Amino acid sequence: MFSQLKIIMKLWKASIIQSMEYRGSFIFSIFANFFDFIFGLLQYLVFFTAAKSIAGWSSDNMLALYSVFMFIYSLQFIFLYPNIAVLGEMVNTGGLDLLLTKPLDARLFVLLRKISLEELGSLSTSIVLFIWLISKGVFVITFQSVLLFIISIFSALIIVYSIYITLTALAIMLEKMEDASEFIWSLFSFCRYPTDIYPAKMKFLFFTFFPIAYISTVPAQTISGLGSTEPVIYGFIISILSLLISSAIWKKTIRSYTSAGS
Amino acid sequence: MLHLKAHAAILKAYLKIMLTYRGMMILHLFRVVLMPLVIATAWLSIEKADGNPYENSDYLLYYLLVPLVMNLTNSRSVFRFPVSVRDGTLSRELIKPYPPLMNIVIESFTNNLQMLLYLVPFTLISVFVFQSHFDFSFLNYKLVPISILAIFFGALTRLLISGSIALTGFWLEDVTTLNLLLNGSIWALLGGMIIPVATFPEKIRQIAELLPYRYMLSFPIEIFSGRLTTLAIYKGFAVMFFWIIIFSFTARFIWKRGIKIYSAYGG
Repeated sequence: MFSQLKIIMKLWKASIIQSMEYRGSFIFSIFANFFDFIFGLLQYLVFFTAAKSIAGWSSDNMLALYSVFMFIYSLQFIFLYPNIAVLGEMVNTGGLDLLLTKPLDARLFVLLRKISLEELGSLSTSIVLFIWLISKGVFVITFQSVLLFIISIFSALIIVYSIYITLTALAIMLEKMEDASEFIWSLFSFCRYPTDIYPAKMKFLFFTFFPIAYISTVPAQTISGLGSTEPVIYGFIISILSLLISSAIWKKTIRSYTSAGS
Repeated sequence: MLHLKAHAAILKAYLKIMLTYRGMMILHLFRVVLMPLVIATAWLSIEKADGNPYENSDYLLYYLLVPLVMNLTNSRSVFRFPVSVRDGTLSRELIKPYPPLMNIVIESFTNNLQMLLYLVPFTLISVFVFQSHFDFSFLNYKLVPISILAIFFGALTRLLISGSIALTGFWLEDVTTLNLLLNGSIWALLGGMIIPVATFPEKIRQIAELLPYRYMLSFPIEIFSGRLTTLAIYKGFAVMFFWIIIFSFTARFIWKRGIKIYSAYGG
């Protein structure tokens, strides 16, 4: 496991060196993502000139949701997205075949071999917003709420990772799913707003079979003192189940994979 | 001079290529309609602030029309051109007997055109399903051709802005971020994607009316829903023409400078 981690670190280093080749473009991307975050923030602020609250969420609660959403979104964009964006090409050109012959954990290497630091601008700004909300007293900071928040963020990251594993398996199985990244984009569209805005049946779906409620709504609720302990516990259980199910799908896919490239 | 025959042949070829991947188009449709529907759901669940002129039915109609207008005014050329500079396919385009950028423009136009195969039925079915929620008394059929005209010029504005950004690909390795900043984030904020421009606070609305972004999305819908006076429509078209002229010159200027330094690597 340690040696695999060492290889991943080396691949990340190569990935960073590659992006630093065009240094101006790289630094500009970080700044642009920072401004993208600011525009996203302004959208919420302008939104609240026409609305007093969204499904019971005040502007402060929505800012909490935005900081959590952007934190998770930036992390997946840095570590996972660059890999799935090129997955279709990798399957079709036979790059995957080459990877599968290596004595490594193929799942880890398909999902984590590339890294993109462009979203660092959004990631750091989401943390700054989070700290500002703490100083403003929007968050309820107790031992219990912080612990539950950490668990809910952990669950959110595991759910996102599991979705990536499932999508990667699907892309390999279908051989032509170049737009798996489109699905990721759509998934995060749902997470930009609290799940409370949706009708009851959709809400049930988002808390069970398509568990996106645990990605941003539950962590934001937990730290804002709006939620209870139960959703955090359910989220944790569902995240573990998601990981187990996606791992089983991955194993089945790799067992039946017969190469699509040349 | 207009190379109509050549352009029609390219359009036909692109249409055939795109129809080969019909399944993918459904995925694209999902992406185009999803965000407006999520935003519409958010607006329908708000507690309105005082002075907000929109009712639930207004929000519903607005966001049902957003995917259609957004698709018609969309320009995908911004991602294609820098690639053609990098891989050298621009060299081939330069020696063809019609304007070198037309290929990319037609590809983008074809994409928008064939998305209508999905979007028009989707919009009509949605309007039919939610018809009891709408008050159609505002409908004035004389405004329909004006809305279509506004969509056409809105598409031209976006094409010229995207084109200007795309042409910086002569110098920049990747224009995605520049596009995200100048064409994505500001457009979403001031174009009417997240918040209908008519519901902005007065001062922000005045700024939005002077910038080009509103004319690529919100303006045609505002005309269609009878929310603008004749004077406001004239004023809107005047601002839109101003930006069309500005970005026509900008694109031409960048092209002339860029083509001089283009060294045709790849092929």
